[in-house]
Amino acid sequence: MATEIKQDYWSYVRRQFSSNKRALYSFYIIVFMAMVAIFADFLANEKPIYCQYKGQTYFPIFRDYGVSLGLAKWPKDLLNINWLETTFEKCIRTPIPYSTTNQDFFNSGFVSPFGKQDVASMRWRHWLGTDDIGRDITAGLIHGTRIAFIVGIISMSIASFIGILLGAIAGFYGDDKIQLSRAAVIMGILFFFVGWFYAFMTRSYDLSDAIGDSILSFLGQFSISLLIFFGALLVGYLLSFILKIIPFFRTKVNIPVDIIVQRMIEILVSIPRLFLIIAVIAISKPGIVLIMVIIGLTSWTEIARFIRAELLKVRNLEYIEASEALGYSRWRILFKHAIPNAIAPVLITVAFGIAAAVLIESSLSFLGIGVPAEVVTWGKILAKAQGSKSQLWVAIFPGIAIFLTVTLFNLIGEGLTDALDPRQKK
Amino acid sequence: MLKYIIKRIAIFIPTLFVISLVTFYLSVNVPGDPVEQMLNSNSEMGSAANAQASEKAYIEKRKQLGLDLPIFYFSLSNAAMPKNLYEIPKKFQRQNLERLIDKYGNWTEISTYYQSLRKLELTLADTKKDSTNADALINIKDKLQDLYLNYKDNVIEADFASIAQNLKSSTTLNAVNSDFQTVKNNYEKGVKEKATPYKKYIPAFRWYGTQSQYHQWITKFMVGDFGISYQDQRPVKKVIWEAVRWTVLLSIISIFLTYIIAIPLGIQSAANKDSTGDKTISTLLFMLYSLPVFWVATLLIMFLGGGDFLGWFPAYGVGDISDSDSFMSVAWTRFYHLVLPMVCYTYGGLAFLYRQMRGAMINTLSQDYIRTARAKGLDEKTVLWKHAFKNSLLPIITLFANVFPLVISGAIIIESKFSIPGMGKTAIEAISARNYPMIYTIVMFSAILTMIGYLVADILYAVVDPRISYNKK
Repeated sequence: MATEIKQDYWSYVRRQFSSNKRALYSFYIIVFMAMVAIFADFLANEKPIYCQYKGQTYFPIFRDYGVSLGLAKWPKDLLNINWLETTFEKCIRTPIPYSTTNQDFFNSGFVSPFGKQDVASMRWRHWLGTDDIGRDITAGLIHGTRIAFIVGIISMSIASFIGILLGAIAGFYGDDKIQLSRAAVIMGILFFFVGWFYAFMTRSYDLSDAIGDSILSFLGQFSISLLIFFGALLVGYLLSFILKIIPFFRTKVNIPVDIIVQRMIEILVSIPRLFLIIAVIAISKPGIVLIMVIIGLTSWTEIARFIRAELLKVRNLEYIEASEALGYSRWRILFKHAIPNAIAPVLITVAFGIAAAVLIESSLSFLGIGVPAEVVTWGKILAKAQGSKSQLWVAIFPGIAIFLTVTLFNLIGEGLTDALDPRQKK
Repeated sequence: MLKYIIKRIAIFIPTLFVISLVTFYLSVNVPGDPVEQMLNSNSEMGSAANAQASEKAYIEKRKQLGLDLPIFYFSLSNAAMPKNLYEIPKKFQRQNLERLIDKYGNWTEISTYYQSLRKLELTLADTKKDSTNADALINIKDKLQDLYLNYKDNVIEADFASIAQNLKSSTTLNAVNSDFQTVKNNYEKGVKEKATPYKKYIPAFRWYGTQSQYHQWITKFMVGDFGISYQDQRPVKKVIWEAVRWTVLLSIISIFLTYIIAIPLGIQSAANKDSTGDKTISTLLFMLYSLPVFWVATLLIMFLGGGDFLGWFPAYGVGDISDSDSFMSVAWTRFYHLVLPMVCYTYGGLAFLYRQMRGAMINTLSQDYIRTARAKGLDEKTVLWKHAFKNSLLPIITLFANVFPLVISGAIIIESKFSIPGMGKTAIEAISARNYPMIYTIVMFSAILTMIGYLVADILYAVVDPRISYNKK
């Protein structure tokens, strides 16, 4: 019975959303752009998709994936090859035969897309011109799409995770529904510090060295730290049972989760966001991952507020009471019943949030903060334009790309707002 | 009401405390050595007297900047770390010692090793240079600096080997040799053999009290002493005061413009909902809302400001003025320079505010009492401005609090692009120069201003809507 209503609700939302043509077409274009982002390597690449070289057949782009995953190796012939200038016996190249890093010395210094270009044939033409050192703008835009989408989606996933979790706990439990024994509170605080000490402080050099190594080794070290940390908390929890022998420690105390979460939100919104992000990035090594994480960590407040408000309403509804009466645990009710019914409005914030994240990423790139030198992004291409006429195209194309992405996500957010608004029921 | 305001301000204090901790934590972890940066010293060269003089200068500067104190009131570390490690002056050497302690856990041995390195440095500085040992001396000094900054065993051993090699090449380096043997001995027999790495698994709590960097900073901050800017050695207060004028001027004008354009537009749009005019303005302003400010700034400079197209406006700075200029001419120069930045400051907030105003107004116009007002025969103008407008103001007022941080963030990009010497540009420069007294102060102030913005919004809320009362809570 419950599932039937839920399905009904989502199909209703879908119907409402589809009836908004602007939002629907925006969604289609975003899907198309996501495709461009996913298949960027097959759209603009110095390596051919397929080639025959010295009698051997290769699929260099696929092999490139294999090499970066450590599954394959480059044969000697191809190891230090100049992909652009080598003549292959047979060869199928990507639509744009350049990578973002290729510098075309014959066409450097902001070559216009409409002017004369010093290229062998139309196949090698720079359709959107080049930048100051002769890098192809089309290739930059295609690969920039990937960065923009990854940053937008990953950062909002982080934000949604934190926001939904904290907002839901704050809204569902309020200030008076979580009660712990004094033993658990004391042990929790004590072993929080113990866990922190052994997981992060004594291992701080292991962690910081791993960041320098690679993302993968950092994640490995970090998981070990997390394991130690939660292990310590578990030990604390188990010890609290022993402590409960003494009656004083058995008394329950309220944990005001709502107040705690509200204060956290207040602190976060009080620091101007771009400021905080720039300050954190300035003291760390530049990297896309860091940008995603820091945007994610600073943009969960809106989602938390939304879901908190929603759960404040939901928690007094009859079906929650019913499931309580059936004896389900509160966690189960929260995650299986309350959150799924409150999650729809979060989609709105996520859509607007992705737009904002794309804007922040391109602003940072534009200012030259945080993005590694070898990564090409929309903001970085745009930053090359300083004001002279010859640089016009370098300013126009990436600007349109950023503008389009931001507008489309905003339109989707708008469409979702309308679709989820009960007053607009048709 | 007063009670509510006092309560809110009481909440400010812990929030501000946490923000101050966050900024402080960030600035302590800034890479680079601020003392070195300010002195621009080159302490490796010269005689022992010279080296001692430059070290003295370093220590004095460090004291002046307040960096010779422990960081916080207390520290939570491990039993291997000595309590007074902060007394080692040079930051990079200190960090390397920390790594050695982390690895071997025997501070007494490591300290002896460090002292012998310093003795070797002084002996080296005093050794007379002649044609036979010049190369060797330079090499040894180079390796010595390397030893200060390395904790990996293979690197240290390689440095030892290289120094030994160089010592063999000359006979005039006997004094150096004996010091070097002490260093080597201290490392191999002391640090490595008497290692107690288990010590780092014993937690240790140290209390430093008020003689700490944070305490000194926060107490001075509260009485208005913000320290000295590392970049130009001027008081932070003065630098910020000079910068904040531009940002405040620009933001006040732009917020004012935003409100007086957006409110009437929004009301008119809502009154003629779904008309061609409404749709055009809505779409136009919706697009404006999504336009990235750095793109608009770039295009404005390219097309209107001194580019190859129309050089109508100056693209950079705020204009040069001399004391003899009349007020009008100064005002004109400033205005002329600030037109383009002002456009950038305004348009984003304009679109945002318009959409909110329109939404709120449409909401109000669908209420029953508006229908009643119309039914009474009131003309549309009275209904719109007297009855509906006042009630739609509510969301707009709370937005004042949101517009404020928006303007501060916008300032970073706009001021950098147009070279306006305001807070945004100063902040960016301070961050890239690791000028942390500046960073602290700017972040603290923007946080305080943002919180005041929220408070003002809440108070205005109550003023506009008498139904809202903060006293009951």
